Amino acid sequence: MDSLRQIRMAAMGNFGRWGRSPQVWLAFGLGFVACFLLSGKALDFAQQQGTLLQLFEPFIWTFGDANSILLISLCLLLLFADLPNLDNEVPLFLVRTTRARWMAGQLLYLVLATTLFVGFILASTCLLAGSQAYRANLWSDTAGILGYSGIGESIAIPAFVKVLELTFPYACAAHIFGLVLGYSLLLSALIFFFNLLGGRAGMAAGAVFSGYGFFLTPQVISGWFRLNSQQTRIANILFGWLSPLNHATYYMHNFGYDNLPRLEHSYAFFFGASLVVYLLAFWRVRGYSFNFTGTER
Amino acid sequence: MAAGGMTAEHVYKSFGREQILSDISLSVVLMKCLCGFLRPDKGEIVVNGRRVGKDCDFPPSLGIIIETPGFIPTMSGYRNLKTLASLQGLIGRREILAVLERVGLRASMRKPVGKYSLGMRQRLGIAQAVMEDPAALILDEPFNGLDKETVEDMRGLLLGLRDRGKAILLASHNGEDIRELCDEAVHMEVRKG
Repeated sequence: MDSLRQIRMAAMGNFGRWGRSPQVWLAFGLGFVACFLLSGKALDFAQQQGTLLQLFEPFIWTFGDANSILLISLCLLLLFADLPNLDNEVPLFLVRTTRARWMAGQLLYLVLATTLFVGFILASTCLLAGSQAYRANLWSDTAGILGYSGIGESIAIPAFVKVLELTFPYACAAHIFGLVLGYSLLLSALIFFFNLLGGRAGMAAGAVFSGYGFFLTPQVISGWFRLNSQQTRIANILFGWLSPLNHATYYMHNFGYDNLPRLEHSYAFFFGASLVVYLLAFWRVRGYSFNFTGTER
Repeated sequence: MAAGGMTAEHVYKSFGREQILSDISLSVVLMKCLCGFLRPDKGEIVVNGRRVGKDCDFPPSLGIIIETPGFIPTMSGYRNLKTLASLQGLIGRREILAVLERVGLRASMRKPVGKYSLGMRQRLGIAQAVMEDPAALILDEPFNGLDKETVEDMRGLLLGLRDRGKAILLASHNGEDIRELCDEAVHMEVRKG
């Protein structure tokens, strides 16, 4: 019981700093602004057409796209830049616990804070849809126009026919939420682990991870190397497996007729990769030197 | 070095190219090694019979003040102590109230710590260090920011603990503290060159 209480308190200690951390407010503020700007295309289109949207469609059309996921995940760099928290109240906590329990608390915080952030993004897009949206689990006329006319693709909204025909909005939104969360959990774990290694290496690691995902986007690669359609198809499948960002992108999955990863492959990838980073963090903390901030006289 | 229940044998700690520049940082680094916050490069540290970093992460039954003790500023003094005490569950409300009374903070225990003066925060730091009746204490300049009368009172508190057999490691730049409180004194200095 003591160990569970100590883990919970180590996690909650980080949440306790949120109220007085401008960095956290800025991360959430930028997240909301990004939602406003990114979901604007779908909302404007519905307004022009005089059609309604399903409540989750702004989230689906916005975060079904790799670039939006990449952009929103950058807010996590800001949110977790100063982890682990080593303010001057931490030594008083540490002498009453163990390194492993402290670490478990930090990882619990990472999972909870990341989930909260992605939940906030989902809630923001629903809020922005406002009076233009309905709750029923049916695709809207807006989605139909975007998908079947091909307009969606031309204005960079990923409203694909395969998405409309194979699933319903609630299930689709749940999967996109799960994939974005998986990607964000892996990113936050990497930021944290590299911060443990020294200095603020987590920021650099997060930027490299995001850059790796961006450069392995089929559109970027085919643009650079001027690939023909056959080569683009192969690149699409290859990078669908190799890029974490493509694992987080809903339409870059196998829905029964291509060789892209299935949704469960991507969930397993994010779970496994995050678990490996968490285990590395437990290994690292055994020899970690705590350099507290704010203790100097 | 040996003091009460604490021994540090052939302890060596470096920070890459970073030098330990003053005797102040030297004592802090040693204290952090004793607490288990820093792992020495070489040597062995034993506190209360347990090898720090081998048998335990942080020494058991240890009270500390390292540099400026920190608390949650929006929470009251009582609430801060209660939160720390709940980590191990060794003491309850009665013991917390008693220690607040002992350090003279009973009257202001409901006030947020953010509104405490430096001296009050230091007294709260002493309270958290001694509240669970630890076997050993590591105190870095514990009387910092205290007025003369409170210093006398806190010295009395530490002498009482010493007489009850507690091992206390104290770092101080005040000669009077050393003369009145310490059975053994070690002078630390940085070797030049």
